[in-house]
Amino acid sequence: MEMLVCIKQVPDDSVEISLDPATKEPALEGVTPVVNAFDTYALEMAARLKEALGGEITVISIGNESVKNSLKNCLAVGADGAYLINHENAESLDPLSIARILRKAANEIEENMGKKFDLIFCGKESTDYASSQVGLLLAKEFSLPAATNVIQVEPGDGMMKIKQETEEGYRIMEVPAPCVVTVQKPNYDPRYPTIKSKMAARKKEIKELTPSEEGDSMLKVLRVFEPEKRAAGIKIKADSPQEAVAQAMSVMAEARIF
Amino acid sequence: MSVSNGKNIMVYVETVSDTPVGGALEVLTKAHKLAEARGEEVIAVLIGRDLVDAARTAIMAGADKAVIVKKESYQMEEYGTVLTKLAEKFKPFLILSAGTLVGKDLLSMVAGTLHTGCAMDVMDISDRDQSLIFTCPVYGGTILNDLVIKGTPAVAAVRSGAFVKELLAERTGKIMEEKVESEESVYTRIVDVVKEMAEAVNLEEAEVIVSGGRGMGSKENFKLVEELALACHGVVGATRPAIEAEWVPRSHQVGQSGKIVAPKLYIACGISGATQHVSGMIGSGYIVAVNKDEDAPIFDIADVGIVGDAVKVIPLLIEEIKKIQSL
Repeated sequence: MEMLVCIKQVPDDSVEISLDPATKEPALEGVTPVVNAFDTYALEMAARLKEALGGEITVISIGNESVKNSLKNCLAVGADGAYLINHENAESLDPLSIARILRKAANEIEENMGKKFDLIFCGKESTDYASSQVGLLLAKEFSLPAATNVIQVEPGDGMMKIKQETEEGYRIMEVPAPCVVTVQKPNYDPRYPTIKSKMAARKKEIKELTPSEEGDSMLKVLRVFEPEKRAAGIKIKADSPQEAVAQAMSVMAEARIF
Repeated sequence: MSVSNGKNIMVYVETVSDTPVGGALEVLTKAHKLAEARGEEVIAVLIGRDLVDAARTAIMAGADKAVIVKKESYQMEEYGTVLTKLAEKFKPFLILSAGTLVGKDLLSMVAGTLHTGCAMDVMDISDRDQSLIFTCPVYGGTILNDLVIKGTPAVAAVRSGAFVKELLAERTGKIMEEKVESEESVYTRIVDVVKEMAEAVNLEEAEVIVSGGRGMGSKENFKLVEELALACHGVVGATRPAIEAEWVPRSHQVGQSGKIVAPKLYIACGISGATQHVSGMIGSGYIVAVNKDEDAPIFDIADVGIVGDAVKVIPLLIEEIKKIQSL
């Protein structure tokens, strides 16, 4: 099973990002760049499939030199090879441009390897821009079937058996490989690297690719701003839970909540 | 394949059990206002089996025309093709849907085929000098972007609760059926559909949500959240840690990787207020929080915050609410 996992480096999503008062841009300095959480789930899903079926995992990303560190982290938790599509201003790319650049790069990698990818993984969305479009657009670029919000992939009889999360529960689908899947949080966590796997990853080469020519971005940001802060209301600290609840009920009664 | 010089707004009206989802009706009402200001129309598109009643509801919410396309059951590629073909036929300047999982998938496909741009999780749409501006959250909603879509038609999926639906019985419109041939997907086959949540328990549509987080401590204690929800005639929500501890199924998750909700009342029990959760519930009308840690960030956004152990506080709340309801 040949697998490609597309990853995006994003600012650590456990850090609350605000606007820099001077530049009016998101204050990202000092926020650790990490692999997008949904992409780490995708990589873990691929790693488990590799353990079950064999094959190799290639990770790919678009961005500047700093993304190499995230790619190394992927090599330490199950990826066999890594490619960086060198782009100084990847932030400016819209989802369609990203999908096109990824598709062309994937084709180039396939040619280099002399084999085709059976499964292409993306996270269901990135934690920074959350456009949730790249996976489907990538499938379209490849003319491949796609399954979104996937929480489980099992090989079936000439098909991939896929569990897809829905608003009400889930759906079981059969999708022929090759296909593109976008991954939602499965019922397990991504593995941690070991010292040994980190050392090995450090020695591996991150191959670089040149991005294909991109079209005009379809999305143009006019203004970046912070939402109005919701004003904090009343905080009740009472001697007993009974008293706290009584006070809370009276505030809510006044606001006509109950 | 782009559709240029568009006119009118096309809205995909998602249905569950042949009834429009609340988010779609909110979008229709907003679309009506945008279209009316330009002297144009709203075309609702409904795909499924038995949708005449749903089409009437779509008209009440703001559609001038409701187009029904009969298809057996949801299939992403097939529905995406139907919407794309109708977009090519009607040539709207804007295509909207509710920002549900289905809505986001379908609009991504439509935008991809029409080679245009798609805005996701839209929180506001303003029409300035004939130019549409979409407000979208980034970094979990701590920052907002105002953006314009350069391609035509503009495509956007709208976050639930962003707009208020207005159902007016006196509104009239035309219901018509369109036949759109779309090959049965050669790609995917749906083997089974499992609903973990009763249809009545729909977080996006709920007026009252009672959510529990890690601070509930155990599956046993989490039952208190369910009891409080029952007492308030609300539905149960949860944070990711509570889901991962398997206290409640995943379909109840509120937050960035779960549902975006906007109930009138949100009660957060044992929830600290991590950005990922808050971004999913910040649009709630009135927020009540119960947490032991008085420095928990949830108190910064709560209208009423009770500093205390949720396990002790919730039974008392249930008692008081029941008293009021029996009056």
